[in-house]
Amino acid sequence: MSDTLQKEVQKEVAEHKILIYGKGTKTMPMCGFTRETVDFFARYGYPFEVLDVLRNMEKRDYLSKLTNWPTLPKVFIGGEFYGDTDILDGMAKNGEMEPLLAKVFAPASS
Amino acid sequence: MISKEAIIRRLRERIPDAEVTLVDRTGTMDHYQVQIVSSIFQGQNRLDRQRLVYQALDEPMKDGRIHALEIKTYTPEEASMRHDQGESV
Repeated sequence: MSDTLQKEVQKEVAEHKILIYGKGTKTMPMCGFTRETVDFFARYGYPFEVLDVLRNMEKRDYLSKLTNWPTLPKVFIGGEFYGDTDILDGMAKNGEMEPLLAKVFAPASS
Repeated sequence: MISKEAIIRRLRERIPDAEVTLVDRTGTMDHYQVQIVSSIFQGQNRLDRQRLVYQALDEPMKDGRIHALEIKTYTPEEASMRHDQGESV
């Protein structure tokens, strides 16, 4: 069972350069912190995806174990886990976010 | 719902030298913002710092006494740098 989840999450994280596992959707966030995270990435103008896991307890448990992080939202950038806006805000303040996103979205050099 | 004292006690069990500033964001004693200054954070990246705080508060977060928690963590050096820049810590 968690094998299926593992494959599902691997695929999702690979497909979206900025991925938010949250509560609700991009247009209808169901939680203040998910909304905050959506607002955060909306400022940068890069495409991002929100996947709603509010009612999928099994997937939430799996994601929490995977990241060793108990809360939603959970943000992945370029396949790496970056926590939530507590972390992202600090990175934005230190000027780390823009270069990271530019790098992640840079066209792959052949 | 959980008292500030109970949160601080749990944090200090895990982080004995923690200087804790707690803000009750909604007045309902379950949405908190916490700022922690401790030397324990030295050499830890941001993710590991948050993980440590979540572990200290695992029980009240799991049973719902804490509904939402914003976390800011600083080493004493980082905190004093912020003071120098006129930011509140």
